[in-house]
Amino acid sequence: MILVNESSEFNAGMKLRNLLWWSAALLLSVLVAQAQGTNDNEKFENQLKQLQDKFDKQQRELRETFEKQQRELRESFDRVSREQQAEIEALKKQVAAMPTNAPPGAQPESGTADQIKELNEKVEAVVEAQTKTRPSEFNPSIGFVGETIFSYRSQGSGATGADRPGGFDAFQRSVELNAAAAVDPFAKGYVVANASADSVTGEATLGIEEAALQTTSLPWNLELKAGRFFGEFGRLSYIHDHELPFVNRPLALDQYIGGESRTDGAQVNWLLPIPHYISLTLGAGNGFGGDSPLNNPGTYRALSGLNYFGRLSSYFNLTPDWNVEAGGSALINPSTQDRGGAIPQPNGSTMTEKQRQVVGLDVKLNWVPLQNNQFRGFTWGTEVLFSDSRYLVDPDGSPDPAGEFMDRVGSLGLYSYMAYKWHRQWSAGFLFDYVQSAYNHSDETFAYSPFITWALSHWNQLRLQYTHTDPNAISGLHPDDALYLQWAWIIGSHAHGWQQR
Amino acid sequence: MKRNLFHLLSLTMAAALGLAAAPAGAAKVRVVTTLTDLADFTRNIGGEHVDVFSLATGVEDTHGVPMKPSFVPAMNRADLLILVGFGCEHAFLPALLEASKNPRIQYGRPGYVDCAKGVVPMEVPKSTDHSAGDVHPYGNPHYILDPVLARTAIQNIYDALVVVAPQYREDFTRNRDAYLAKLDAKIAQWKESLLPAKGEKFVSYHEHWTYFAKRFNLVYFGTIELKPGIDPTARYIESLVASMKAERVPVVVREPQFPEKVPALIARQTSAKLIKLPIMPGGVPNTETYIKMMDYIVHAMLDAAKERAPVSQ
Repeated sequence: MILVNESSEFNAGMKLRNLLWWSAALLLSVLVAQAQGTNDNEKFENQLKQLQDKFDKQQRELRETFEKQQRELRESFDRVSREQQAEIEALKKQVAAMPTNAPPGAQPESGTADQIKELNEKVEAVVEAQTKTRPSEFNPSIGFVGETIFSYRSQGSGATGADRPGGFDAFQRSVELNAAAAVDPFAKGYVVANASADSVTGEATLGIEEAALQTTSLPWNLELKAGRFFGEFGRLSYIHDHELPFVNRPLALDQYIGGESRTDGAQVNWLLPIPHYISLTLGAGNGFGGDSPLNNPGTYRALSGLNYFGRLSSYFNLTPDWNVEAGGSALINPSTQDRGGAIPQPNGSTMTEKQRQVVGLDVKLNWVPLQNNQFRGFTWGTEVLFSDSRYLVDPDGSPDPAGEFMDRVGSLGLYSYMAYKWHRQWSAGFLFDYVQSAYNHSDETFAYSPFITWALSHWNQLRLQYTHTDPNAISGLHPDDALYLQWAWIIGSHAHGWQQR
Repeated sequence: MKRNLFHLLSLTMAAALGLAAAPAGAAKVRVVTTLTDLADFTRNIGGEHVDVFSLATGVEDTHGVPMKPSFVPAMNRADLLILVGFGCEHAFLPALLEASKNPRIQYGRPGYVDCAKGVVPMEVPKSTDHSAGDVHPYGNPHYILDPVLARTAIQNIYDALVVVAPQYREDFTRNRDAYLAKLDAKIAQWKESLLPAKGEKFVSYHEHWTYFAKRFNLVYFGTIELKPGIDPTARYIESLVASMKAERVPVVVREPQFPEKVPALIARQTSAKLIKLPIMPGGVPNTETYIKMMDYIVHAMLDAAKERAPVSQ
């Protein structure tokens, strides 16, 4: 039994021994750790002490440097002050020693003060002027054109078919007021009002030639014009009379377009987004041609009663000094609705227009020497038009519709002119005209017009032109010789428009 | 098939939109200048980041640059239009601007760069009545012939470039500073070169030289033109010759844009020296840049002053 007890006691002893061993080991570890920690602490404290010493040293050095710099700054300031004071004293002595022309009791600073006061007043006046608002502040650009034609024609108007009498005449052809301004950031507006003296009464009644809105910021290179304007057709149709390169509008334009290409409508211009200049214009309007009659829509105008027109044009630099512009144009009025009514013809018949079509090709060759273009230049412009209209023909011109028939008349017209400039003020040229009547292509007229222009300035111009007109016998008119003296002048604002280039 | 088509259409639209939306600054800044001096300044400041087209080639009258339709596509695509200002370009620019259909460069927009901003004009007329000729209503516009005032134009060009292409600001600044340093050195040299000609009188065909004369202490006696844009009458030429003789004016300047006949006649009758001076880079050979042009002008003036013959009585 003791064996069992001895075994238990042994086990317990073993356990105790083990416990003691582990405790000792643990204690020893702690002691060792403590010792190490103590070593580390000492090391750490040493390092700390070193850092502190270093910091204190740096602080001392910084403080010493700062104090040294302060001393130096103070000394420098004192020295400069002393020097400046000495200079001031020296200058004062110099001024005191200088002789003076000032009257007794005068203050030497008053002259300067007066000048400063005067300058201040001037500056204030300028500033005030800039802030003034004037009633005319919002006025558009306004210009005025006068154009008088003195003429002599060898034949009377009965023989020439002209609006003006033959023989000696003085005709106030244009009394033109133009105004233009920006409407808003998106569009500009312009108005051209013109009065032309009536051949019978002499009265000049003001009419609106153009009154249109033109956009300035549409995307995709588009520009819209709407209102009353000269539609883009050909090269000279949309040029005002007084701006033509010769006295009278070419016969073909007068006959097929009807003077200036005036229309009430809208047109869109597109500049093709390519490096080469190509411009396309398409438009539609009520009427086309300032001197031609309007359609007779009655109580209802269909789309076919409108005029549709367009032009495609381009430009080429042949050399730096030579260039050419070319274009093609078209005008169609599908239903002219008896435009102008029954027009009597030389052969006794009447013709009533039912449909109107005109196509044209224009080309202009320019010599614009870059260096001297104010003094020299040359232009050769040509336009060929083809009129193709349908008419209701009444052979005997009577109200009886019996015998009436539809006829299609194709007629050709062209003009070609050259103008040479050899001086800022002087240029001369020649115009050739040919037209077949829009009602009868056998009815032909030729005209030949040399001219010379004296531009006293930008705004004052005289032109002398001789014209020989030679209609054939079918027209019933007579050949005519005419001499014209045109005087055109401008006052007020004048803009070099794109169309006048 | 439909899906492929849809994809193709989408790609095409995306490409088109991307092209349309591509900022101008993504590629070079497209600049159109009216005159060649402005083109030179812009190239110097813009460097490789600008593509510059000048409407004038250098030989033209600054008021008579022709309105060529070939200019229109370039102006249509331009990011900046740089002009002299003070109405210098009134004869050709408004119509071209209208035809360009480019809203970015219209008056008042950031792309419309008036280099006269900040320049105090000389000879501002009291009246713009046409009896005074083709007056410049905002003052004499030929300030760029004064290289000190040209610095203002350079700064205006720089400011505009920085607005339209801020990503290249550093390059523009470096280029501007380098060019201005070069110009300032030349200004000092020109001033010194013309010291011997101080107070010398001269006439020219058109009133181009007002600012130049003031800067370099010369005396601008008058113009051969009766009034701006109006050729001289015989009576006016007679009185000009008489006053030139009385005041001993030794130099007649002819700008290349004007015919030689009348200036040569006046020079003969007054025994003055006739010299041809450009008003824009490229106006005469070997003046392709602004500095070369000013070098030419200064040397020609100096040589003319040195050669002055006794003025005939």
